[in-house]
Amino acid sequence: MDIERFGEQGIRIIFGQAIDDATHESVRRFFLYTSSLRIPGITEIIPSFRSCLISYDRERVGFEDLSELLGEMEDDWREMSLPDVRRMEIPVRYGGDYGPDMDFVCSYSGLSPEDVVEIHAGATYRVYALGFMPGFPYLGPLDRRIYVPRQETPVLKVPQGSVGIAQLQTGIYPFESPAGWRVIGRTMVRLFDHLNPPFSLLNFGDIVRFVRA
Amino acid sequence: MIEVLSPGFLSIIVDRGRQGHGHIGVPSSRELDRHASAIARYLVDIPEDAALLEVMGNDLRLRVLRDMSFAVTGAKVKATLDDEPLRPWAAVRAKEGSILRVAEVLEGLRYYIAFSGIIDIEPVMGSSTTNLECNFGGFHGRPLMKGDMVALRDIREPAGLQTVPETMIPSMREPHLVRVIAGPEADNFVPRSVRFLANRKETVLFNATSRLNRTGIRLEGEPLRFRDEAERSIISEGLLPGTIQVPPDGYPIITLAERTIGGYARLATVADADMDMLAQIRPRDRVVLSSIDINEAERLWRAGRDALSFYCKKQ
Repeated sequence: MDIERFGEQGIRIIFGQAIDDATHESVRRFFLYTSSLRIPGITEIIPSFRSCLISYDRERVGFEDLSELLGEMEDDWREMSLPDVRRMEIPVRYGGDYGPDMDFVCSYSGLSPEDVVEIHAGATYRVYALGFMPGFPYLGPLDRRIYVPRQETPVLKVPQGSVGIAQLQTGIYPFESPAGWRVIGRTMVRLFDHLNPPFSLLNFGDIVRFVRA
Repeated sequence: MIEVLSPGFLSIIVDRGRQGHGHIGVPSSRELDRHASAIARYLVDIPEDAALLEVMGNDLRLRVLRDMSFAVTGAKVKATLDDEPLRPWAAVRAKEGSILRVAEVLEGLRYYIAFSGIIDIEPVMGSSTTNLECNFGGFHGRPLMKGDMVALRDIREPAGLQTVPETMIPSMREPHLVRVIAGPEADNFVPRSVRFLANRKETVLFNATSRLNRTGIRLEGEPLRFRDEAERSIISEGLLPGTIQVPPDGYPIITLAERTIGGYARLATVADADMDMLAQIRPRDRVVLSSIDINEAERLWRAGRDALSFYCKKQ
């Protein structure tokens, strides 16, 4: 675990250099533990693939004190017992109007639409981070057989619920928005509801499976 | 009650931002010019976390439907109350039925209007600020439109001083000098291309493009060059407002208040003391970057904070 200052009111806690299960597990432990403590002065804890970004209010706590405190906690979060990972299923309609980039994915991969769906829906994915937009899950790892590059120019508008893939990731657009990933399907499940806690359908660390709808 | 007769180019309700939901991707969406917002609140004597209007563009017209006071701060504007010129950065009394007009923005981009009452809207996830991309918060999740009625409660006459000294009114004139602290991927760039990070006397000049909104400001100029062996993107990670990201094309983007995670190399972070200025950068303005270390950034922040609390003390 490395602790690095980032800007005037940020601290990066870095758990590894690559995307792998051990790193993800450390991020998840650290995130769950430190969030549960509600440490005064911490304003955000943003977990992602290999790190947590903590932002804090310097009127209430300083970098030295906070980084020392976080360093001292390492044994505690490494040893804590974790809640079970939640498993979620997301129904998806693949291809056609729901997946405008299915043709591209097929020609890039040399697979049939049937194969692409089989592969995409045949795996489980971890929520490695939530961001870009509220409730947008960065899911991985994606099977290399359906690797595709991002759009060179983002598409201006994809509908809410669009399921995209890019490089070794897959994700779901919770809102109508511009998109840089290749859209292969759509879900009718609502991923984000600003009126009802806990607001986001998915949590960091959940395991997600797509099922054909 | 305030009636919107003309919303200018874009008028939204903002506050100090949505906090504590970054782990599910919810950005702060806060007021971009915190200095101008804080002074506007002080002038009309409303709480530090009260909501106000953030406006861009000419020809904003609001009809005030109750006696109250208001203050216009931020970008330098030509403003009138019932066709009489009014003083910006000061509390102004308005009679029921009078019309506040901002005819023209002269310098800067965003101006702020606070009223001597509480804007009566239901907070969303702990804040009244508007998330424009996702259409929640603020006034029904959207910009104000002609005919909207914005309700105010607890209207009262502001107590205390109702002006601030000239020294508290920042210049909005370009070029904008933006001081930065080196970021986590500063070493991904060819040293010659980012000399300004190593040598404090060096600067680098960019121009703001028209691709500029509450999410970020895209700059253009001489593109920054990645080292041959450096990755062109990173494993996506948390961002702070003011993080300067560089996509593979080498043209920096200054992140503002609508993103929590990014996947581009983080060249630098804007010093907190210069963050408010970012709200006032217009398309084509010159933006000069220079570097400072974190201790100096902290000193600058403290000086600004102390000045604000000295002049804007509650009575």
